[in-house]
Amino acid sequence: MLAYEFGQRALIGGLLIAATCSILSFFVIVRRLAFAGMGISHAAFGGVAIGIAAGVNPIVTAGGFCVLVATGIGWFSRKGRLHEDAVIGILFSASMALGVLLIRLANAYNQDLLSYLFGSILAMSWTDVVILAAMTLFAVAFLVLFFKELLFFSFDEETATASGVPVRFVYYGLLITMALTIVVAIKLVGIILVSALIVIPGATGLQLSRNYRGVLLVSLFVGLASIAGGLFLSFGFDVASGAMIVMVMFAFFLAGVALSPRRAYMQRLLGRRTAAGDRDG
Amino acid sequence: MSRACRVADFFSGAGGPRTLIELSDVWVSLGGQTVLEDITFSLDESMFVGVIGPNGAGKTTLLRVILGLVKPDRGTVCVMGMSPGELKHELHHIGYVPQNVLFDPIFPVSVYDVVMMGRICCIGTFRFARKKDREAVLDSIRMVGLEGLEQRLIGELSGGQQKRAFLARALCMETRILLLDEPTSGLDLPAQDQFMELLTELKGSLGLSVIFVSHDVNVLARFADELICINRSMHLHGKPQEVLGSERLKDAYRCEFDFLVGSGAHHPGREGGGG
Repeated sequence: MLAYEFGQRALIGGLLIAATCSILSFFVIVRRLAFAGMGISHAAFGGVAIGIAAGVNPIVTAGGFCVLVATGIGWFSRKGRLHEDAVIGILFSASMALGVLLIRLANAYNQDLLSYLFGSILAMSWTDVVILAAMTLFAVAFLVLFFKELLFFSFDEETATASGVPVRFVYYGLLITMALTIVVAIKLVGIILVSALIVIPGATGLQLSRNYRGVLLVSLFVGLASIAGGLFLSFGFDVASGAMIVMVMFAFFLAGVALSPRRAYMQRLLGRRTAAGDRDG
Repeated sequence: MSRACRVADFFSGAGGPRTLIELSDVWVSLGGQTVLEDITFSLDESMFVGVIGPNGAGKTTLLRVILGLVKPDRGTVCVMGMSPGELKHELHHIGYVPQNVLFDPIFPVSVYDVVMMGRICCIGTFRFARKKDREAVLDSIRMVGLEGLEQRLIGELSGGQQKRAFLARALCMETRILLLDEPTSGLDLPAQDQFMELLTELKGSLGLSVIFVSHDVNVLARFADELICINRSMHLHGKPQEVLGSERLKDAYRCEFDFLVGSGAHHPGREGGGG
């Protein structure tokens, strides 16, 4: 695969997306934003449809639209008038409905639309790679620079507020970063599967590690290995790359569940090993 | 004069006990409903003040007003000689232990990580923890008696140990005032006593001013220097014996109070040599 330039571009772009999604995934899991991720990714369909109907780059319109939806989710939830899941459910279906109507009106059921629904990483250009690198830089910078604030806010919002953490900025910053990450990751696996990238790595990390540092490391490994492995397998078996990436990621998750130190049989196994080690020592 | 100088001057100035917190004619409404009305009191530094009142009396809101998290509709709030706007930059002098921290038991943070969260306001944005921050965290963990449990997952601790961890988090900044919202709720009686004794000890050794919100009059009657009783409005403010012996306590709780007053009398505490 790496003998071809499109393969190199796909791998570089994929790994950039993996790095961002893996760090973000940690906060998606601990802050319980998986459904919000699902909502924002499906809302991207409305954004893509606006772009197709208006003749503008659909990724640009999807970016703007997803940021708007993410901010809307945050605003409605924080005002306390509605629960977060209800807001997500409403905005998610309304955006999808808008997308369906616009696509029908623009008569644009075509290959281009399918590439947004299912991803087209092998069709990635160098310009796409540069956009991805810039996006990765922005997202990773936000997540790293505000990591301690994000962690405090995710753990105990009330005390974080009382300690002077700018919780509103951190919350909206997280939602906007999630929206932009989802939009660039659509290129990789498509609207339908993109939420897997921001949920599975963190969920696997939480199965295998008890401390956030370990969770982040496992999450990063799962993200990078799944995307590299999925791309090579999809190329080898000539199947859809997005679906293969998600299946590899899911296999990592199942392995994580099976090998989790929280499982009773793993505790017995590890305990026996430790006891044997103590005896030998 | 810089804000840092103002706080330093406030605590280093000569003279008798200074007024640490002053509320005057404070009215607060939330969601269109009046939660606090005409609250006026002043508290001196280095006191252990208990705030009592029935459920829904506005005790937590009162703490949030002092912290500057809730803006009064009317009245003035002055903490360490500063308005809530100025206080925003001095929150590292105020430790806060909330009523219930509703976190996921598998949230992947250790006791050390949780206590380090308290240092965030000292570390500052875009900066990482330095040696002095790590030392402050370990000191606080030692002070509350959790040494050896630093790397334990917070969700794996008992209720009493978790409360101590949250107390350590409130202490690991440059704490001058400690605000605690029902920190002993959910603890059994021995654990409640242990927590209160630890708090009294730390108050003395660190020279803290403590404001402790609880609906449990008995606990506070034994440990507090002063009690404030509110039920939306101010009902009483004075020494525990005066407050517990007052007829107005029944008005505040809107019920007969023989049990609580009787219990308070069984725990003379302060007169009885430290309860």
